[in-house]
Amino acid sequence: MRRTGTPSWLSIRRGEPGLPGRGDDVVATPPSVARVWAVGGGKGGIGKSFLVANLATVAARSGKRVILIDADLGGANLHTCLGVRAGERISLSDYFEERVIDLDKVAIETPIPGLRLILGALGHTGKAETTQEQRAALHKAVRRLPADLVIFDLAAGTDRSTIDFFLEADDGFVVTTPEPTAIENAYAFLRAAFYRRLATALSDSNVRELIRVAMDQRNERGIRTPGDLLTAIEQIDRAEGERFRRVLDTFRPHLVVNQVRDTEEVKMGFSITSVCKKYFGIDIDYAGYICFDDNVWRSVKDRRPLVLAYPRSDGALYVRRIVKKLLGTA
Amino acid sequence: MVRPLAEQSYYELLEAPIEGTPQQIERAYRIARATYSPSSTATYSVFSSDESAAILRRIEEAYAVLSDARLRREYDARQRISDVRASVPTTQAAPSAGAPQRERAPAPPVRQSAPEPDIEGAMVPENGIFDGDVLRRIRVSLGIELDEIAATTKINEQHLRAIEGNRYEHLPPPVYLRGFLKQVAKCLSLDPNHVADSYTARMRESSARLG
Repeated sequence: MRRTGTPSWLSIRRGEPGLPGRGDDVVATPPSVARVWAVGGGKGGIGKSFLVANLATVAARSGKRVILIDADLGGANLHTCLGVRAGERISLSDYFEERVIDLDKVAIETPIPGLRLILGALGHTGKAETTQEQRAALHKAVRRLPADLVIFDLAAGTDRSTIDFFLEADDGFVVTTPEPTAIENAYAFLRAAFYRRLATALSDSNVRELIRVAMDQRNERGIRTPGDLLTAIEQIDRAEGERFRRVLDTFRPHLVVNQVRDTEEVKMGFSITSVCKKYFGIDIDYAGYICFDDNVWRSVKDRRPLVLAYPRSDGALYVRRIVKKLLGTA
Repeated sequence: MVRPLAEQSYYELLEAPIEGTPQQIERAYRIARATYSPSSTATYSVFSSDESAAILRRIEEAYAVLSDARLRREYDARQRISDVRASVPTTQAAPSAGAPQRERAPAPPVRQSAPEPDIEGAMVPENGIFDGDVLRRIRVSLGIELDEIAATTKINEQHLRAIEGNRYEHLPPPVYLRGFLKQVAKCLSLDPNHVADSYTARMRESSARLG
């Protein structure tokens, strides 16, 4: 890796070929279609909303029209990271319960110019779950929003709606902290997302049954890894095996390690990407880490995004870099 | 798609670049060893202890060869030979359209080595100026401890701290400092001359300002 001249990271890669909405040329993407990101990670309290607020702030300040969606219906608190009081204001529940038809009308202003927010407060029915139809309708509406970027802040856990929001996005982020519990949940999240994507990509009923069996890690067929599953699928249908490989090649979530305290914990990101490669066979992108320092703590306490409060911190650098890498601007 | 463990080249096992410097091989090995060690939190919910131990054995085997210049040369030469054999005929299938040719032979191992994570790229300043703070950030982003650099370069840890802390009054005379900076840059896969020039220019500016 050379460090002189134009750094390699300045030649911005606009995305992976062959994925929806990831053309090499910005002109090829119609300006009216919003790019969608989703931030998940399995465990609660690991800084998903914090990351979302910061990614969005950087993108908005670079001139993008950004809308955030707090998809954590049971524990919405993204508004607090942005210094917005939720109160009794309009929320995603109003859209799901059809009190508001136009999703754009649900997005409220935030203190940051160019950045709007769709609150995820629980509705009158108190339901945190959504139906598949509701989610499909939401995704259609999201792509029509007058925005350049829409970011979903996902709930903890691996339930169907969370995983579907994650998979529908153009770019998915998995957040973890260096703690074993968070890492375990991050793997569970990746596993759930990967198998769900497989199940939707492959059509042969025998193969789908095999995937269902494989999702239980202690299955009696002895399928432990995605590699084992591929071998089993190829025995049934080689074409499905090829589709499996394509899913693997295009499944490339970004990893962010939050609350890093020392160099040892920075390495945890490399270790997780290594395990994903050796276990799942997938190449995840270690997008960056955020230090557990007083700056982060203060920015959260002040309800102000880190990138505004402490723009020179390591975390702020990484957040800007992620935005630059994926959007070509920061 | 990543190939099964048994079929992976030593470079793939360590996740090190084929053209990697000895420092990059060393760094990749340290990360791999930490990842698959029995006490690792990165593996415990995914691999059984037997599986981790098996991976670790392969990693040690890979490191024993790649960390030895002569053994590495011999290994590379053998890989190139198998590479040539494997790539006959020369049309190499694109990854996503590889079905018709997949059965003939596995793709050349040395061509498939994992790219080195580029996370540290974020820490390289756009203005190209390397001061102590930038060097520290890059080192941390690579997951390298100060004592590792001290062990590799034989530079006293106090000097390394003074370099990272921009504590110019604690630094050795310029002629030694330049050498130190170049060695540190090498450990961080940075351009040695550029780092030495940039750091010393910064230091001169600062001294001029002060007095």
